[in-house]
Amino acid sequence: MTKRTDMTETKNWSGQTLVSTEHMLFEAPRTKHFMTGSEVVKEAVKRCTVDASVSYPITPQSEAAHLIGELWADGYVGAYFRGENEFGVMSEVAGCAMAGSRTVTTTSGPGTLRAMENFAMWSGTRIPVQLILMARGINSPLTIQPDNLEVSYMLETGCMIWYAENVQELFDMTVAGFTVAEKPDVHVPMVTVVDGFFVSHTREAVMLPEDDIAIQPYEPYKAPLPPIDSEMPPGRFLRDPFVMKSNYISYATHASWQFEIRSAIERSIPYAKHFLKGLVEVIGDDDAELAFIVTGTAGLQAKEAHRELAKIGIKSKVIRLKTIRPFPHAEILEAVQGVKNIFVPEFNVVGWLEKEVKQSLYKKSDADIVGGPRVGGGMSMPVEAIIAEVQEKLNAGKGA
Amino acid sequence: MAKDSIKIRMPALGGQGAVTAAHIAATAADTEGYYAVSNPFFGAEKRMAPSESYARIATVPVYDRGEVIYPDIIMVYHPQVITMGKSYTMPFYSGIKENGLVIINSDTNLLTATDQKILDDLNVKVLTKDFTHFAIEQAGTELATNMAMLGSLFGALGTVSKPAIEEGIKDRFLKKYTASGGTATLDSVIEKKFKKKMDLIQKNLDTASAAFDLTADWAKEVGLGQILESPSK
Amino acid sequence: MSHDIYKINPEFKDIMPQEIIDLEEKATWTQDRTKPRGIKEMPESKELLEEHSLCAGCPEAMTLRYVLASLPVPEETVIVNSTGCTSLMFPHIALHTVHSLFGNQNAVASGIKRSLEWRFPDKKKDVVVLAGDGATVDIGLDYTLQSFFRQENITTICFDNEVYANTGGQESGMTAKNQVFKMAPKGKQFEKVPLWEIAKTSGCHYSVNMTGSAPKAVAKVIREAVLIAREVGPTFVNIYTPCILEIGLSANEGLAEMKEQDKDRFETYKYVSPEAEAYLAKCKEEGLL
Repeated sequence: MTKRTDMTETKNWSGQTLVSTEHMLFEAPRTKHFMTGSEVVKEAVKRCTVDASVSYPITPQSEAAHLIGELWADGYVGAYFRGENEFGVMSEVAGCAMAGSRTVTTTSGPGTLRAMENFAMWSGTRIPVQLILMARGINSPLTIQPDNLEVSYMLETGCMIWYAENVQELFDMTVAGFTVAEKPDVHVPMVTVVDGFFVSHTREAVMLPEDDIAIQPYEPYKAPLPPIDSEMPPGRFLRDPFVMKSNYISYATHASWQFEIRSAIERSIPYAKHFLKGLVEVIGDDDAELAFIVTGTAGLQAKEAHRELAKIGIKSKVIRLKTIRPFPHAEILEAVQGVKNIFVPEFNVVGWLEKEVKQSLYKKSDADIVGGPRVGGGMSMPVEAIIAEVQEKLNAGKGA
Repeated sequence: MAKDSIKIRMPALGGQGAVTAAHIAATAADTEGYYAVSNPFFGAEKRMAPSESYARIATVPVYDRGEVIYPDIIMVYHPQVITMGKSYTMPFYSGIKENGLVIINSDTNLLTATDQKILDDLNVKVLTKDFTHFAIEQAGTELATNMAMLGSLFGALGTVSKPAIEEGIKDRFLKKYTASGGTATLDSVIEKKFKKKMDLIQKNLDTASAAFDLTADWAKEVGLGQILESPSK
Repeated sequence: MSHDIYKINPEFKDIMPQEIIDLEEKATWTQDRTKPRGIKEMPESKELLEEHSLCAGCPEAMTLRYVLASLPVPEETVIVNSTGCTSLMFPHIALHTVHSLFGNQNAVASGIKRSLEWRFPDKKKDVVVLAGDGATVDIGLDYTLQSFFRQENITTICFDNEVYANTGGQESGMTAKNQVFKMAPKGKQFEKVPLWEIAKTSGCHYSVNMTGSAPKAVAKVIREAVLIAREVGPTFVNIYTPCILEIGLSANEGLAEMKEQDKDRFETYKYVSPEAEAYLAKCKEEGLL
């Protein structure tokens, strides 16, 4: 039975050599594996000196959640159990983090909504929990496919949101996610989104560092709010309902606290840039007048579309967002210089990313912004649909 | 010059009936033909904790909501609002408008020289009187303090009549009223004190009326002009 | 660590308020103690509660003081609270406390306990839940019972005033049948939920129903409950702490109300599992009780 006290300066409790996150992500030699997104979550958590995890079954994240359990049985993860429902799980996770543990959990769609009350509590409590959100449609009716409408519900919870495109990025973002969330001047929760099935259950090539190294442990005494572990003088916060003193104190505190959380998210930008090599990825023709602004699987489909469009003589560029919160305003603005038509393909019926893009570019860009194509229910978005949307727009002025 | 709308802030302590007072004030004003709105503001329901309520009375529709941050009239129901800072604003008269009015329930003057100067510069008139004692004299209970304060308010305003005030009081105490636990408890305490409900109403009215008269006289003495326009009937 | 975290930097002692100095010098921490903490020291020592903003005469406030006076090792105790009148007192407690959402107190406590066991395997840190009846039996029932099923090593204390008092007096699961409260204008339609019995069959090793009328009785139960939770399994203590405001009593009538209920709805119920019984015997021998 491993004990946390088995950890030394150089090795964690499972005997892995402690390395910096930079070493893990940029320097350590990697070998090729072929695995699914769920399996890579296990590989990431294995190399992250994780103290605690709480899980609950829901498609499509059940596998990732039970694999973290295997890590616990093997001594890599300190504390692990199955909670009673997602609301309970997210509160249990909050408890783990409040008491100073590096904590990870997963959920999807209906589970996310079940737990919803907890997310604003997480960010308000300034706990650096990482939630791996495997996007899946929300009821009603029921679909288990990767509709990502749930991301729109998370946008204003005060958590950071990163969106992994594929199995490789899911690994790297999970590792970086702990580190960035735990920076003392950031210290808000990290939501790492990845599309269910299209990534979680899709097997693909991935380059992984050896599993005998792990990133440095969490240092709870560097947190902006002291952990609740009776080892430091108590901090009074969330743990202190101000309304009991007066409405005035409570609303004034709430207001300033909320602004501070949003500022913390902004402060994560330099760290996110450093570990993710940029908040956005831009591929394609620099001088293209047509651009796709995308995230997640829509980004992959847009990359396919870019290739196909080139074959029919249409230049395009793909601006793929790695981070949604913080929203990469500056990066997008730079990338759309000279662009006349912007398309925002999405895997949800409302177009939450289109709204974000329009808000960001309002009066800053002359480009037309088209919110499409959109697919709902998590159905696939074939390249043909994107090409059709593009051609409809480009040929519109030229008559049918 | 008389305004077309006024905002009244009533800082008090839980259990004094400031919320009830604001309610009656608005009802009375509404009866008189004004547009009127009242609302409370407090944290947990607790006796002796800060409890503030507001009434907005106007000859034009009232749109403003929430706390009254810039009041025309402030009614301080308890000395502790000032002496112990049991208030949502510090100092208690923050935001008071020019030519406004302050009514303080206290047996001693609670204003510092600085306070006085600031209020004088704004031409704000201040009436300090022990309304608790007054209420005990008039109605035999300190729970009638809020009635005295109400009467005083309307005596100073001059444009809401005693029959309208009576209507406001009856509406509150005779009709079925949705109250929180604490308020309901105090309601039953007060009811037990009077053999018949009408005695309760009458005593409240008498208290309010007496306070109305003495404040109207005071207003004349200190040269308090008409604060609020008369309602169009 | 432990009690040391409450020590004042000597450089600042001369400007510290007396209450903080008293907290270091006169509070009954566990250091240098040959007897278990209890009620007797309350009048002379610094309590771990600095004022409270509850109504004058509130039985909850009274009972919280007994609880704080009887925690076996307060400096190693984390108390998890929930929304309600009890949370009015929490900002004034000297110890590590948490107020999370409404109803999730046992879930948060489970996470904290597991995390502390992992991070400090060689220390004994107690995690205690203290919440009202609404939080425990209605909105939090799921998490309360599941923490019992999972055998979490936490103590759950319910301050049962049989109503949602802080929100103005609505019926709760713990309200007695036929009692009229808000949202039950015709009287409560179903029986008071006997959570102390359900606790027993849900896996608690110790379950008590009582009132807060006798300080020493409360202290003994709290000590037992916390010790058993530490070593054996989950424990549950339900204490009647009536809301004098909602039932129309005055400040000095709370105690009499509790004494009356000692003979009625809150006649003492006590369940101790065999393992807990054995453990208590061991504690007595070691002078912990």
